[in-house]
Amino acid sequence: MNARRSAIPLSLYFFGLIAALYLPLGVLFLFSFNSNTYLSFPLRDLTLSWYQQLFEADAILAAAGNSLAVAAGSSLAATLLGTMVSILMMRYQFRAKGLLVALAVLPLIVPYVVLGVALLLLFSVLQIDRSLWTVGIAHTVVALPYTLLIIGSRLAGFDPNLEEAAMDLGADYPTTLRRVVLPMIFPAMVSAWLTAFTVSFDEFALALFLAGTRPTFPVYLFSQLRFANRLPVMIALAVLLMIGTLTLVLIAERFRRRGT
Amino acid sequence: MSSTVSAPGSARSGGGGLDRRATFWFLYLPPLLWLAAFFVAPVLLMAAFSFRTSSRGGLSAGWDFSLVQYLNLIESGSYWRLLGISTLAALAVAVCAVLLAYPVAFFLAFRAGPRAGFYLVLLLVPFWTSYLLRVMAWKFMLGTEGVINSLLIYIGLIQDPLPALLYNRTAVVLTLIYVWIPFAALPILAALQRIDTALFEAAADLGARPFHQFTRITLPLSLPGVLAAFFMVFIPTVGEYVTPLLVGGSRGSLYGNIIQDFFTKAANWPLGSALSMIMLAATLILVVIAVRLIDLKQLFV
Amino acid sequence: MRETKSTFFAAQAALFILALLITACSPQQQPPADVAPGDLTGTLTVLDWAGYDAPDFWVDFQTTYPNVNVNFSIGASDADIYAKMVAGDQADIFHPYTGWLQFYVDEGLVEEIDTSKLTNWDKVPDSFKAIGQINGKQYFIPWDWGFTSILYRTDKVEGEIDSWGALMDPKYAGHISMWDDGPGAVTVSTYIHGYDEAAVTDEQLAAIKGEWIAQRDLNLFYWAGEPELTEGMAGGDVWVAYSWQGAYATLLAQGVPVAYANPKEGRNSWVGVYGIRKGTENYDLALKFLDAKLGEATGNNVVNLFYYGHSNQDVMNGITDATLKEAFSIDDSDILAKTNFTPNLTAEQRDAWTAMWAEVKAAP
Repeated sequence: MNARRSAIPLSLYFFGLIAALYLPLGVLFLFSFNSNTYLSFPLRDLTLSWYQQLFEADAILAAAGNSLAVAAGSSLAATLLGTMVSILMMRYQFRAKGLLVALAVLPLIVPYVVLGVALLLLFSVLQIDRSLWTVGIAHTVVALPYTLLIIGSRLAGFDPNLEEAAMDLGADYPTTLRRVVLPMIFPAMVSAWLTAFTVSFDEFALALFLAGTRPTFPVYLFSQLRFANRLPVMIALAVLLMIGTLTLVLIAERFRRRGT
Repeated sequence: MSSTVSAPGSARSGGGGLDRRATFWFLYLPPLLWLAAFFVAPVLLMAAFSFRTSSRGGLSAGWDFSLVQYLNLIESGSYWRLLGISTLAALAVAVCAVLLAYPVAFFLAFRAGPRAGFYLVLLLVPFWTSYLLRVMAWKFMLGTEGVINSLLIYIGLIQDPLPALLYNRTAVVLTLIYVWIPFAALPILAALQRIDTALFEAAADLGARPFHQFTRITLPLSLPGVLAAFFMVFIPTVGEYVTPLLVGGSRGSLYGNIIQDFFTKAANWPLGSALSMIMLAATLILVVIAVRLIDLKQLFV
Repeated sequence: MRETKSTFFAAQAALFILALLITACSPQQQPPADVAPGDLTGTLTVLDWAGYDAPDFWVDFQTTYPNVNVNFSIGASDADIYAKMVAGDQADIFHPYTGWLQFYVDEGLVEEIDTSKLTNWDKVPDSFKAIGQINGKQYFIPWDWGFTSILYRTDKVEGEIDSWGALMDPKYAGHISMWDDGPGAVTVSTYIHGYDEAAVTDEQLAAIKGEWIAQRDLNLFYWAGEPELTEGMAGGDVWVAYSWQGAYATLLAQGVPVAYANPKEGRNSWVGVYGIRKGTENYDLALKFLDAKLGEATGNNVVNLFYYGHSNQDVMNGITDATLKEAFSIDDSDILAKTNFTPNLTAEQRDAWTAMWAEVKAAP
């Protein structure tokens, strides 16, 4: 079929892009074994000492754990809120609809620095201490436009008649939502969740302003970069995180293949 | 906030009216309150700050109303040019990113088969690594003694290392395009996945060649996703500051850098807030124009 | 039903008011002065730069008072720390650098320090003590310090560099790297032209702005952190740079051919200080923390791990490593006399100099 032939240039393009995306990660991987404290070629003596230091550095591992927690929480919240607004947007008419949608999407145009300071001001006025929660709140706000766009455009494609049919058969609206709509948009919800997670995990402009005594990993990394000799340990952690994520993804793919 | 809730089906017997209304409030209140508290309130606070004469007095004192920050900005004029450049740069990034992302989304939607989810995640994994470190690695490769220059000299393509790969505005634009392609692919992918493949079969039966199938079916139906991707990239990029910091060199600063400097280096919040308000206004105007030009209904129907 | 409710609420209110009265009238809790250090408990929060939260940098405190909790929140820059303190951060102790100290005093954010309770205070040289004094009162204790000078590749630069003007020298076009900081740029210009750093006039500032706009064509990039700088210099892209001695020591240790200039206008020096937040409830505990920060074990770690100087003179006198002695010019006995210490800016100066720098970056 035509598809097979035209798949080749497209796959070349796709995998070329993947290669370009992973190239710097490969470089980082190489340098995590380099005994120099800065990136240079050729590699001086190979060493595992950075990884060793990493495991002794509780602070770095704690920061990575904090990032995971914040990303998981904020992406969940953003997905939930995004789903709510999507349903409102697509299935309801009310006067304030345009305003709500506009508000939900507006965080896209506010620079993170600005939002960070603004939220810092707000929390100070409200006497709320900075913490991972305040970072999570900020991340939810900025991830919402993405989840809304992804889930909303998926929901738009589905025929509202399906829901009407369900209600004709006697289901009340909440059940219809649960049994008909949510399963339909579930793939989009997962996609939105992934996006929100990605947005949060490496985000540091907001986290810089709003983190308290427990930093997220990008905050920790960014402020560590003041000192040249901390760089290699940071690289070691980044490489480990990447290998860990890739492994998880590969395992998930294996399971999926087994399942089909 | 008053609103009349109406939707098809509410006049029906059985499930209709009451629980639909209750569900409405359940869906409406959380996002509304959340946004009001954590988005509207802070931005209003920021606007109030932009009308202060100075940061002195901190939060408890020093609140006055003065246009001095805005007047200063209008008078000095140094930043308007930069705002224009930043907008144009963002435009370039968005257009290129969307163009380059389309084949990625197409591949994932129509050619990747069952592995599409896996490939998608593969595309996103690099973004869970620190952006700072990745760009550091790129800088290392693009530097005058870096891998790319060494390779090109070795093959004999050039004699002297190319300085132009790094530390200028072009490097900023190229880096941003590179970073945005995977994200831009997502809304396009979502739109492509909604296309009923039966349409292609019908078209093929009617004798349409693949190219025509693309231009007549795929492209128009994916347009909402393309537009969504464009705005998703364009709008935040206007305020971008991290990439110029890392690869822009001395001349690569964008408007976002100036704002960031005033907050994180100068502790001059009123001026930084005023600059931010101006940028927000400019972006809002652009968005309103765009929304007028493009019928929003087309976006989602 | 309603009656019971109102009685209930009235009782609640009465209890509440009573509780308030009791707490208001009770004497302030003072930590008993004769608790053994090993038994002292409490919690301290420190707003510090990343890296300094590592136990190495408060090891004296940890060994003396092992049962006190110390929490750290991180600030990324002086402006960031200032912003957080102004916004009402509840940290007991914070860590600004010279140039930013006046603002804390003006905004009433810092307590005066009772130096009689610091056992290590006499090991700090007077010149450093003076740095922590504003309006004649000791508000800060000096802790870490270092030089700023010109770092250059000896294999790319002919001869020696002996003046701050090298940062604007067309000979090195495309290979210069300046620190991304407005006040830093103004300081360099005052050294070159002999202006009074504490009294820069508007005309001088305008001239300085023009000079740095021109310098932009020679400058490769502005560095914000030392790793950027060491990368650039080690990779050969940067030949001449405004630099702290940490980068010098790092590159020396890796065998890169670099030298640290002794400009005729004199080197610059900056000092990091610790202050106690005004209104903190842990004043005495904070003092103990600051005292321990001046301790020798802590100081040695600062010198050996970060290549920064420490305000405890005994620590500096005890340095034996050749690289470090070179980086700190230990063998040059009057280096400090030739060095210009960063003065404290007024808020107006800070605003004007940072605005100038923003305009330099935004200029066509």
